[in-house]
Amino acid sequence: MRRVFNRELRRLVNKPRYLILLTLGIVLTFVVFATMTKEGQPLKLPVAVVDMDHSYLSRRLCHELNATQGVSVKAVYDSHTEARKAMQRGDVFAYYEIEKGTYNRLLQFQSPKLVLYVNSAYMLAGTLSYKQMATMGMLAAGAVQREVYRKKGFRDEDIMGMIQPVEFDTRNIGNPWINYGNYLMTTLIPAVIAFVAMMHTSYAIVRERQERSVKTWLKKARGNTLIALLGKILPYTIHYSLLLLVANLIMFGPMHYPMVGSWPLMMLNSILVVFAAQCTSCFIAGCIPEAPLTMGVSALYSAMSFSLSGFSFPVESMPTFFSSFSWLYPIRHYFLNYSDIAIYGNGIEHCWPHYCALIAFGLLLLAGAVMLRWQLRREARFEGKEALC
Amino acid sequence: MLNHLSDIWLVLSTEVRRVFSDKMVLLIFFIAPLLYPLIFCYMYSNKNVENMPVAVVDESRCEESKHFVHKLDATHEITVAYRPSTLAEARQLLRDHNVRGIIYLPRDFASRLADRRTARVVVFADMSSFYYYKAILTGGNAVLIDEMHSIELQRFEASGLTRTEADIQVQPIEMQTVTAFNPTGGYGSFFLPALLLLVIHQTLFLGICILCGDANENSLTLKMIPPRLRQGRSVFRVIFGRSLCYILIYLPLCLLDLWLMPRIFHLPQLGNLRTLLGFLLPFLLAVIFFGLTVGNFFVRQKISPMLCFVFFSLVLFFLTGMVWPQSNMPPVWFALSHIFPSTPGVQGFVKITSMGATLAEVRSEYLLLWIQAGIYFVAASMSLSFIKKFRRS
Repeated sequence: MRRVFNRELRRLVNKPRYLILLTLGIVLTFVVFATMTKEGQPLKLPVAVVDMDHSYLSRRLCHELNATQGVSVKAVYDSHTEARKAMQRGDVFAYYEIEKGTYNRLLQFQSPKLVLYVNSAYMLAGTLSYKQMATMGMLAAGAVQREVYRKKGFRDEDIMGMIQPVEFDTRNIGNPWINYGNYLMTTLIPAVIAFVAMMHTSYAIVRERQERSVKTWLKKARGNTLIALLGKILPYTIHYSLLLLVANLIMFGPMHYPMVGSWPLMMLNSILVVFAAQCTSCFIAGCIPEAPLTMGVSALYSAMSFSLSGFSFPVESMPTFFSSFSWLYPIRHYFLNYSDIAIYGNGIEHCWPHYCALIAFGLLLLAGAVMLRWQLRREARFEGKEALC
Repeated sequence: MLNHLSDIWLVLSTEVRRVFSDKMVLLIFFIAPLLYPLIFCYMYSNKNVENMPVAVVDESRCEESKHFVHKLDATHEITVAYRPSTLAEARQLLRDHNVRGIIYLPRDFASRLADRRTARVVVFADMSSFYYYKAILTGGNAVLIDEMHSIELQRFEASGLTRTEADIQVQPIEMQTVTAFNPTGGYGSFFLPALLLLVIHQTLFLGICILCGDANENSLTLKMIPPRLRQGRSVFRVIFGRSLCYILIYLPLCLLDLWLMPRIFHLPQLGNLRTLLGFLLPFLLAVIFFGLTVGNFFVRQKISPMLCFVFFSLVLFFLTGMVWPQSNMPPVWFALSHIFPSTPGVQGFVKITSMGATLAEVRSEYLLLWIQAGIYFVAASMSLSFIKKFRRS
């Protein structure tokens, strides 16, 4: 195996173009996500107010909205149509509509209506601006209630209990600051690295076919396709596992994403996800003899890995078929192990099934080796026949 | 003029033959845009997280807390799957992933309510996915507001107010929320329109890069073109001919993925067909010219686009501003995102299909696509002379 490993290293060093390009690609992806989500949650989201009332209430609402960290009033419109068009252009994510006479009706206890329009086509921006604006609206109503109670002679500490009889105290486990980068990067970066490791391994195998060097490659492994594949994928396993370890070190270190569990387990998880992704590519390369098709099928398969990891939309809420299908993706097991280790601090007694699943991807390597052997024999027979003809 | 048309026809027919004789391109041009939309639309057909299991620890065990828990169980977001007696047991259930959140009503819940002080309900949310957090908060908040109103109403009525007076006291301002677009707030109806367009962008771009890579690898780029079309303004005819081939293939695919698919899977469909077609023309041209530019300048091997560009789809998706809003992007990434036709493409398409925008509302995206198409057309025309020089050297 060492001879195959050394040969692959030499090939990599002689033609390092893709290794450098792909590594730079991974670094760029990391930098894009890290810098984009630096503020944790999008702050000062552009919102608007349709002020047809021009009153103390509408001005106060604008000031209070501007005083929050989450939203910023970008425009005050006179009509609903203007605001709707601004929303359709994507200039604002939400707006309050304050009808004419709202403040007067409020002073006369006629319970005026305050309408909040939200654009949910942008999920994150829509949800966050809704949350912020609804809270401010509630506070505005609360302020009115407070004034009434004060005039009736209640003390301030009693008033809070009356305005808000029940409150939620939310504890977010694993992401206490609701940091979007934390939620996004901890799974997406490993998914990208596993994806690239898989495609690069496919390419390494495919390259032998393209350069017609399969025989030399197998000679180094003394004809054993399993050894040949293992020796070939190992340099990539080391490279991409190291990249993932460094990425995790940065995320759970200087970037302060929470990690309460065991580091060695997380390291093992990182190495295994890269290895499992490579085993899948060995299987695909073993099954499909045509070089471009191998790459195409590998890409088609792994493009779904981001969704099926289940980190964004939970897999259990998808149709039942996908719950089972997602087990065929190493990143799904990585994600479940990550949430067990980093979020809950669970040990191996909890996560062993997913470690076993990642190791079981090794069977695909075996199957790939068998298929490759079968294919090579068939090709040899075919060549023999051609030579006879 | 007739000569020009016959030249374009020559290039077009050569390109069609190349597309249909290459298995990899067929996979990218036909299988991927047909398969992915179907798979993803089916994958996200349950638009929201429903009946998410939670554990409720009710240490108060009073009438009000029981009522609160019943109401929680009745929401479609959450289901009270376990009622452990201690918080420690509930935490264990969470660690074992049997539940995705805990709702804890402390012992003093009833006494605080009786004393007219604010009673506290503690919510523990599993943050491994934002959707667990969203489900528990949406369901919980609905019950919280309802419960608050009914408690306040009881108190006011007990203090001698009539029902109407009490109603006004409870809700001095009537809050009404209108979800203007994507009214179900579903993940699928937010994510899929953007994804459908990105699938069209990526498959078309990759397919063209693969064809360019194949031609460059086998030194065919110039051989495919008759010598009289290799220089001067006649190069434009080559670019037109090839583009026409891709447009003829992708127009039906676009109609299928961007018009029919949203109708089959009940995704937002507010846009009208004429607006969509008007928008798709500069989009397809920009993607084609962008693909030809990148393919001719940078792709030397047929398989390198699959290796180097596919994983970049993820970054492209985030650069569109659908997830992280464009207003909050660092200026460098905001500027970079405008290099790719996917950014104005996705933004414009989502505005048309999900928000019912007309071309006037997506004017900035529409103009940007034409500018991109213009710049990449010039670049693609220049790429042929670049290849000529490259071959000579």
